[in-house]
Amino acid sequence: MTTAVPTSTASPMSLATSSLAREGRAPAARPTHVPGRADLLRGEWTKIRSVRSTTWSLLAMAVASLALTTIATSLFTARWPHLDAATRTQFRSDTVGLIFQPAASFGQVAVCVLGVLFISSEYSTGMIRSTMLAAPRRTPVLAAKAAVFAALIFAVAELVALPCFFIGSAITGKYASTSITNPTDLRAVVGFGVFMALTGLIALAVGTLVRHPAAGISLVLAWQFVVPAVLSLLPGPLGEHLSGAMPANTVVIMGSGHDADNVFSPAQGLGLLVAWTVVLMAGAWFSIRRRDV
Amino acid sequence: MTSINALPRIDPRSPDGRLLPLPVSGGFPVTGEPSNTIAAAGLTKRYGDTVAVDGLTFTVSPGRVTGFLGPNGAGKSTTMRLLLGLERSDAGSATINGVPYADLPAPLTQVGAMLEAKAFHPGRSGRNHLLCLAQSHALVPERVDEVIDLVGLRGAAHRRAGTYSLGMAQRLGIAAALLGDPGVVILDEPVNGLDPEGVLWIRRLMKRLAAEGRAVLVSSHLMNEMAVTADHLLVVGRGRLLSDCPTDEFIRRHTDPGIYAATPAIARPALLEEAFLRVTAASVEYAGQ
Repeated sequence: MTTAVPTSTASPMSLATSSLAREGRAPAARPTHVPGRADLLRGEWTKIRSVRSTTWSLLAMAVASLALTTIATSLFTARWPHLDAATRTQFRSDTVGLIFQPAASFGQVAVCVLGVLFISSEYSTGMIRSTMLAAPRRTPVLAAKAAVFAALIFAVAELVALPCFFIGSAITGKYASTSITNPTDLRAVVGFGVFMALTGLIALAVGTLVRHPAAGISLVLAWQFVVPAVLSLLPGPLGEHLSGAMPANTVVIMGSGHDADNVFSPAQGLGLLVAWTVVLMAGAWFSIRRRDV
Repeated sequence: MTSINALPRIDPRSPDGRLLPLPVSGGFPVTGEPSNTIAAAGLTKRYGDTVAVDGLTFTVSPGRVTGFLGPNGAGKSTTMRLLLGLERSDAGSATINGVPYADLPAPLTQVGAMLEAKAFHPGRSGRNHLLCLAQSHALVPERVDEVIDLVGLRGAAHRRAGTYSLGMAQRLGIAAALLGDPGVVILDEPVNGLDPEGVLWIRRLMKRLAAEGRAVLVSSHLMNEMAVTADHLLVVGRGRLLSDCPTDEFIRRHTDPGIYAATPAIARPALLEEAFLRVTAASVEYAGQ
């Protein structure tokens, strides 16, 4: 009976019709082309769209942003009769900042959580070994993850930024004028997406460095909320500048640049945010290349 | 769909225990590199002062199941992780078909591995888990459905993998390992914690993979399981290679000749445990009093 074994590779029962003989090998098991970067992107896209935390986080980001835009602008216009002239001037000169900055500050929480989870959940579940077996070169894996995540967050954040802008404009319309065709206001709309996407990359980098979801989320939220607040307590311009240079305070990129309370201009804010992102992603890249999984 | 359990049992060994000649694999381009072969040469890995893998040199050949045995802490899992590029060796080399794992352009089409039952995100469905791996390799989605049917997970494919039983999780891991129809299969303790039906399924699968001309390397510390599955044994202790020979030869060499002669041929696999304990006696981490 065992003499029949050699023919088993040709039998219809062999592995998924995939004998290793050239003609018999399962056609579907052959790559359609030499796998490359686009294929890694496709795989990472499937990963992020196939877990529930993505939907919930993005929904939370949208709800928090829309709510904060509505609340912040409503509170300000409701108090309008009681505001002094200086405050009114400040508000008029940076209405777009009031529409977007509170929304971004709170909406980013969900993006930070998702950014940390996107990679640290791979470490905490063992998925990372499946990932690394399929793509043993680690730099392209991190690059694909970062590209997919940043693109997704930017796209969703822009979809949120538009209603935020129109709701905020409608609420503040009685006292100030904003317009999507105004270059400064349009810059703020784009800035909302840029801030969310780069903040997401910072969280992704921390998730790569820390690997534990709970620790990573705690660290990122402390970094975005506690550290800037503590730094602002330092006396004089030092505290102001250190706090203003933290990534969370780069929400200035969504302002008009005419708010005297901001120590950095929108352009400087963008530079700072990009610098933080580059430094932390470089750390993540160094870490993912060196450490075993 | 034929389930694997319904398949006839394939025994790649002849009655006297030697391998029957198998058709030479023609599925891979002939490049002068060895086909469907794992090779380690002087493979060494240290953690601080501890030498986990100490100059291992061996070859795993196609067409048979090679059992990888050793006491706990002998370096089996570390060796497998070195072979798969998950860790870097301090010295020596580990190659698959002559190439280090990290240099394989589409590794899943040459090596399939399952190192743990649950190397997946519990919130993702089994099918999506396989799909993201397939996409990274430019494999068509139809292949995902093929391997799902192959391991008998069709009914559960769209459920979150976190809801799977251990046996189903193992099947998902096997499905991932077989996605690229690899000529080399590496399994770390695949039967741990499985019910008898699951153990039998894995055993038949490994024999069939070997009969199809693949190289199968499987680690275990379940001696009875290895005795009935493995054609060839690599035995390690404290990171060193203690034995590299066919299973029958290993048993004959390391058991008492009198007992060996008195044991009917069919019962000899049961002597593997005795032989193993003798060979590894000096290598166990915690010897009983």
